[in-house]
Amino acid sequence: MLTRGLAPMAVFALLVAVWEVYCRLSAVSALILPPPSGVVRALVLNWDEIGGHAIATALVAGFGFGLSVGFAFVLSVLLHAAPRVERALMPIFVASQTVPLVALAPLMILWFGFGLLPKVLLVILVTFLPILMSLLAGYAQTPRAFLDLLTSMGAGRWGLFRRAVLPCARESFLAGLRISGTYAIVATIFAEYAGARQGLGIYILAAKNSFRADLVLAAVVMSACLTLALLGLVRGIDRITARGPKERRDA
Amino acid sequence: MLELRGLSLRAGGRVLVQDLSLTLRARGITALIGPSGCGKTSVLKWLAGLAPPGVVGHGALSLDGAPLTRPSPALAYQPQGDALFPWLTIAQNAALGLEVAGLPPKAARARVAPLFAPFGLAGCEALFPAQLSGGMRQRAAFLRTIVQDSRLVLLDEPFSALDAVTRMRMQGWLLARLRATPRGVLLVTHDLHEATSLADRILVMAADPGRIVADIAVPHPPDQRSEAGLAPLRETLKSLLLKESAP
Repeated sequence: MLTRGLAPMAVFALLVAVWEVYCRLSAVSALILPPPSGVVRALVLNWDEIGGHAIATALVAGFGFGLSVGFAFVLSVLLHAAPRVERALMPIFVASQTVPLVALAPLMILWFGFGLLPKVLLVILVTFLPILMSLLAGYAQTPRAFLDLLTSMGAGRWGLFRRAVLPCARESFLAGLRISGTYAIVATIFAEYAGARQGLGIYILAAKNSFRADLVLAAVVMSACLTLALLGLVRGIDRITARGPKERRDA
Repeated sequence: MLELRGLSLRAGGRVLVQDLSLTLRARGITALIGPSGCGKTSVLKWLAGLAPPGVVGHGALSLDGAPLTRPSPALAYQPQGDALFPWLTIAQNAALGLEVAGLPPKAARARVAPLFAPFGLAGCEALFPAQLSGGMRQRAAFLRTIVQDSRLVLLDEPFSALDAVTRMRMQGWLLARLRATPRGVLLVTHDLHEATSLADRILVMAADPGRIVADIAVPHPPDQRSEAGLAPLRETLKSLLLKESAP
């Protein structure tokens, strides 16, 4: 586990070192490309301000992501029970993912104002489809033998779903959570970028307008930390809900 | 006694099984053999109350003369492989049928608990299926089937995934378990050796459409059979299967 984690850390450290050396040896201005040490300095000096914005972003992303998971789960149960409805609705859901955020975010602000709602809606729009699709794919992976066994025992539709279909979808669901978790913070920042009073998005916009590349990158570092924290939460859910050693489910 | 009359199974325009009838006694093993694709598993699934996707079946099923609706607690079904749920412990897997039938989980596990030792699974209650050998998994699956207190058991190639030695051990073990807890068993297998070693009666199916072409009683109880004594029967079965599966 430790050895597995060391390799990406070493690669990351190497990239940061190359970046630092390049900034020191070249004549590039710190206003254009600040060195990593400058970014860290900016982050430390502006910790209170950036931290406040990061908390605002984390709350919106967490709330939106939570709603997205709930929405996707309820919808997945309904669509699993009604495959014809799934076939009718899925193209619409997929099409919803093709709408460019750059067009949608300002419209959301225009329609719903600068409050919580447009940002949460944007996070849901970006994150719910991977979760929904991973759940539906997970349900479909249930081995026929499991369903046959339970049916022969007299289990009804709910019994089949609760005892076999839902547990079989666990791995797939967690994969969907990981993908959506990666998008959740980015989607929130995008929504804030389009218009907000608080959050890393609006902070990045203000820093960019002040030609403070070091503050922009400090906010980016904070955004990466939030994403990693969200992925850590998903990993925690994985560990808490794991039952038994990993094995291939080929019935 | 379970009696099936005039079973026909169709998938689209194709007739899978036509006018198949069989009886299953309250004790002993009846083997159902036949070439691949003749409909053995489809017949077994129909008896268990399962409808393979796209397959429509008609037939009359009765138990001791009374019509039988399925799924029925009188019939326990074990699918191909062991179908143990990997996220449940062996104790939870074994108690699954009782829980589905409405017994509270604690009561179901209490009822299963005394059977772990006779099934050679003592100490495995809290383990997960991935932590057991193939033979132990099969025993756990059979425990799950037997504990349902059904009158008849439907087994679909239960030992096909096991290596030769484990399979032989499991066959002997199955006979011992059935002596201790007698049941009528319908065993689908493609293994002639298995059929002749275990069964009291062998039903031979032919394909296109699936139908029974021979009903052969196996002489002597299983523990009094010898390889030499079974050789003529195996030859008969082999020639029957080759004849029926000829293009």
